[in-house]
Amino acid sequence: MSTISTALRNFKEPTKDELTEIFFSIPSAASTPPAPKDEVTNKTEEVERMEINAVMSMGVHGEEDSYAGKLYLIAPYLTFASLDRKSVRLTLPLSTIRRVERLNARAGIYALSLALWHGSKIIVQLTSLRPTADLFCSLLRDALKIELQKGQMKKVKPFVKTCYSETLVTESATVADQEHEDGSLIAEEKDSGPRESTFHGGLGLRFKFPGDPRKLREASKIKLWTQYLKTHGRNLTLLRYPQCTRLVQVGLPNRLRGEMWETLSGSIFLRFSNPGYYEQLLKDNEGRTSASTEDIEKDLHRSLPEYAGYQSEDGISALRRVLQAYAFKNPELGYCQAMNILAAAILIYMSEEQAFWLLEVLCDRLLPGYYAPSMHGTLLDQRVFESLVQRCLPMIHDHFQAVDVQLSVASLPWFLSLFINSMPMIFAFRIVDCFFCMGPKVLFQVGTAILKINGEKLLQVQDDGHFLHLMRDYFASLGESAHPDSNDPRARAITRFQELLLVSFREFAVVTEEMIQGERRRFRSEIIHSIESFAKRSAVRNLRTLERFTKDQAGLVYDSLYRAMCVFPPPPATLPPPSLLTTDDQAGADKPETRIGLKTFQYFLSEVATWARDEKIVSNGFQQRVDRSVAEHEFIDRLFFFWDVSCRGALSFQDLISGLDGVMFNGLMENIEWFFNLHDKNKDGFLTKDEVLTLSETFLFIFRYEIGDAYLGAVSRFMSNAFEYGDALLPQPEEGDDSPAPLPANQPYLNLATFRMVVLADEILESFFETDLTASFRLDPLPESFDAAATLGPSSSSSSGILGDLWSTIATDSNKKMFNMFTDEIGKAVGKHQVVHKPSIGRYTTLEEPKARESLLTPGMRHSVSRGSLRSIDEKDGVRLTPERTTPGISPGRVSPRPVTPTQEKKRERVVSDGDSMPLIQKAAAALLERPQFEIDHVESEDEGDDAFGVGEDEDEGVDENVMDEVDAFLEAHDSGLTEADKEVAKGLIDAKPMK
Amino acid sequence: MAESSAADKSVQVKLVLLGEAAVGKSSVVLRFVSNDFQPNKEPTIGAAFLTQKCRLEDRVLRYEIWDTAGQERFHSLAPMYYRNAQAAVVVYDITKASSLEKAKSWVKELQRQANPNIVIALAGNKLDLVSAAASSSSASGDVSEDEADDATATPGEAPAAGESDSLRQVPREEAQAYATEAGLLFFETSAKTGEGIVDLFTEIAKKIPIEHILASTRGGAGRPGAGSSRANAPRADVNLDDSTKPKEACNC
Repeated sequence: MSTISTALRNFKEPTKDELTEIFFSIPSAASTPPAPKDEVTNKTEEVERMEINAVMSMGVHGEEDSYAGKLYLIAPYLTFASLDRKSVRLTLPLSTIRRVERLNARAGIYALSLALWHGSKIIVQLTSLRPTADLFCSLLRDALKIELQKGQMKKVKPFVKTCYSETLVTESATVADQEHEDGSLIAEEKDSGPRESTFHGGLGLRFKFPGDPRKLREASKIKLWTQYLKTHGRNLTLLRYPQCTRLVQVGLPNRLRGEMWETLSGSIFLRFSNPGYYEQLLKDNEGRTSASTEDIEKDLHRSLPEYAGYQSEDGISALRRVLQAYAFKNPELGYCQAMNILAAAILIYMSEEQAFWLLEVLCDRLLPGYYAPSMHGTLLDQRVFESLVQRCLPMIHDHFQAVDVQLSVASLPWFLSLFINSMPMIFAFRIVDCFFCMGPKVLFQVGTAILKINGEKLLQVQDDGHFLHLMRDYFASLGESAHPDSNDPRARAITRFQELLLVSFREFAVVTEEMIQGERRRFRSEIIHSIESFAKRSAVRNLRTLERFTKDQAGLVYDSLYRAMCVFPPPPATLPPPSLLTTDDQAGADKPETRIGLKTFQYFLSEVATWARDEKIVSNGFQQRVDRSVAEHEFIDRLFFFWDVSCRGALSFQDLISGLDGVMFNGLMENIEWFFNLHDKNKDGFLTKDEVLTLSETFLFIFRYEIGDAYLGAVSRFMSNAFEYGDALLPQPEEGDDSPAPLPANQPYLNLATFRMVVLADEILESFFETDLTASFRLDPLPESFDAAATLGPSSSSSSGILGDLWSTIATDSNKKMFNMFTDEIGKAVGKHQVVHKPSIGRYTTLEEPKARESLLTPGMRHSVSRGSLRSIDEKDGVRLTPERTTPGISPGRVSPRPVTPTQEKKRERVVSDGDSMPLIQKAAAALLERPQFEIDHVESEDEGDDAFGVGEDEDEGVDENVMDEVDAFLEAHDSGLTEADKEVAKGLIDAKPMK
Repeated sequence: MAESSAADKSVQVKLVLLGEAAVGKSSVVLRFVSNDFQPNKEPTIGAAFLTQKCRLEDRVLRYEIWDTAGQERFHSLAPMYYRNAQAAVVVYDITKASSLEKAKSWVKELQRQANPNIVIALAGNKLDLVSAAASSSSASGDVSEDEADDATATPGEAPAAGESDSLRQVPREEAQAYATEAGLLFFETSAKTGEGIVDLFTEIAKKIPIEHILASTRGGAGRPGAGSSRANAPRADVNLDDSTKPKEACNC
């Protein structure tokens, strides 16, 4: 039982646009469920993205400085970030913009005033060239119009009512006063009744928030925030100035925490744009169970069990609903232990709906791949963390290496549960505050800071256990003074936790989001490779039987299966309703086995059997390649159902192993029988007349493209013989008259013995069953690089010749196609383009000597061939085979080098185009063609193609790039700081009147 | 080595618990470490780490127990915990046949990937659910209640009185036969009643090549700082060990 996932192969590095979206916490298209309505209009009304240099200031005297940065229009959002990307940040749904005015200012200054929903006003000075600014304005106008048409503006009012900040700000006068008197929240509890109905809140409102409000200085925090939110906007319109980050770092007040989390993480935009989605999702899936819901049940009672809310049914059922809703929304991820901890934690501070969307942002964007079935994100970030420690704290890293202690034993739960499971909650939540505000890098910063602070003790650690104890003790002491022996009372007052944050954000400020992205990129393939080889090992280990395969061979079958799954992914194994799985044998219910459908099977077979693929040898003068595509024939479908012993319409890895076993290891007689049974549909030991015809067609299919007509002759002899013997034997079964339906076509006609006789009467068929059939199955290991090249297109191809090695480095399939088309064009131009079908079983393949029939091997040699094809890992292959019948036919498609005998060498030069003997210059020219994506993409017209292999064009391209870079750099340098005069201008704009 | 043998005659043994989710791994450990059966306060993320001493003749074994998360997707993390382990307890649930299949696959993996000398024990847990006949008076009512408290227990699997025997899905003989064939120690246990738990860990202790470990630790203790850390590490557990020793110390 094993599940095989190719999900990791589908990973794509985020594009620049996506990175911008991530930076501004804008919901990605994937995480937003498609709106059922106005789907048609959506497509036509997309406004293109644009960014522009700008200086932003608040439209109030004395409030904050102006900042230079970039303004982005990413409909339906308008965003701004200061040049340092951290001081000032704003993500604004367009629907919260009430009014945009062009300001009447000094000549040469292009400024807009934006009036926002919450009454605040921001002024942006577009500092780019006039036409650019004009374009930006018109795009903004279009985008706003669309939002208005969609009625988004009307949704703002009811939505902001669900935010606690509104209550806080509008009633701030009374609330703040009461808090001031009591110094706690008790005063608030009294009148919380009527308000609760309007704004969303968490379990904390009923079951109290963790920690002592007095110690946490809730009252003064609330006051500071009230002030900030009043002037800088809130929830949907929050403008983040440095003060905001500072306030977050001292800890969010409990009552505001939930809303600030969703505002800072951007999950508020998801909730805003998908009203009612959560309730609907729960309703649609009511009563549904799955493996995920079962797992969730097991963990409900061990999710922060010490918190009062989770000792009550209300808390538990809220937790259940949120986790289930997420599992229903994202069945592929489903539920992973540790998500329960996160969900339980955030539910203390937010409503179910808020928590649901925050969980979405967490799993999708902030902790990508952490909770996926392979947990690749977790493994990757552990590796990244380790490398960070190596870089920042080399002594600790070296010591851990020396005593063989793995960092992950402690750090894995830190990352997986955002420290909530490791630290006292009040401290963990403060880290979570920073995490939502400043991004995932916080986890790495805090992690390294923990190690640094405990550095000396860690250098004494000798084993995993000791390390864990040390960490546990440290976390338990976070509330204590960091400097208990200091004379300075202020120093004594600093807790260890404060020290931790200080070290995290000061000393490890060097750890940036970009750095982590870079490190992830560095280690991703390593991690994916280790996950995949782990999966492969367990899949092979978990086979019920290896049959006659060795483990390595089974591994090769797995590889072929895996490649096939990359190209034609089978339907997800988690999706079928549980009812389908319970009919399964016991283990099936928990671990649905990966099974492939017919389409994937066809591809798989084309990987392992030579006749199951169509191969065209294309030579175009300086490159010879084999274009491979999947052959389709009734026979392949027949094989699929023949191997589907449990009749599920899908094959498992085990089925494939068992199926291949039935054909790859047998001798002449068994193969004949196998072939007979394959065509004996009703398994009565007789073929009907129709089946004999089908069988003959199968022969023809397998022998297609064979050179010469020897095979055609053999098949026609077979048919005439079969019918002759069949007819001769016919009267006998009819005399018995057992058959109830004596329809001629369905009548038992040819039994195994007769079939065998007919086959053995023909030399070619005999040799086919003795060696060729078996030999047509090949388990060849592909070179690593080829394997890593990930998804191959449906008609993948491989190449030999001088470009063979370069081939695998051309990344994507589309690139390869481009490349092929390009070279074909050249070939045609030069008159060297040639396409030859490769024979499917590769018996007689020397293209120039089709009459090779007489060179049949002696029986002894044939025997060694069939065994040898299984031993394909070793390189004896090429040597063992006689020169006459081998060379390109074996597999010219393989890139792997194999020892070649001198005769073969000669042959190859002749047969496989000019291959190796290509002149050096041509090689160099060809090598130049092997370049990254964009150049190839630009090779469009033939004229350019002829132009000295596009070298000149390449240079132009490069120059353009450089110029753009320079321009960018220049602009940035120009905008990086604001002079006093600039600031004056910005201030002047506050009072500027709108233009007519 | 004088100071190290004085500080502890105990031999450190790394033991890892593996098995399908909700078979009661954490409960088995809890029973062994603190002779308790309780709702699990500490959710298992990755793995929980506990220690317990076990006396064996003149030696004291100090078990370092890694209680791993059972959910399938944590599987790929397991090698991190079972590497260098000297012992493993693979737990299955005798009332759930599929859990034995999973256990078998764990055993296969351990035999191929883990330390070649690893001592593997197979433990069929939740014996209390099927041996109600033995203590019929307190039988099923209590069981269901307690099991419901146990966070790792599968809800809804609590037996109704009288039906308890039919709950068994894995015959003892079948598991025993498999264990013998695969060369494993075999026990049926109940974390709830404590039955078989101490035996399980004692038998593992007996089978562990202690001299071998001692030799290798001695080699390792030559490193600077090793002595002091060995002295430090057990100190943290003194309280725990003292409180549980009267009940728990293996009686052999």
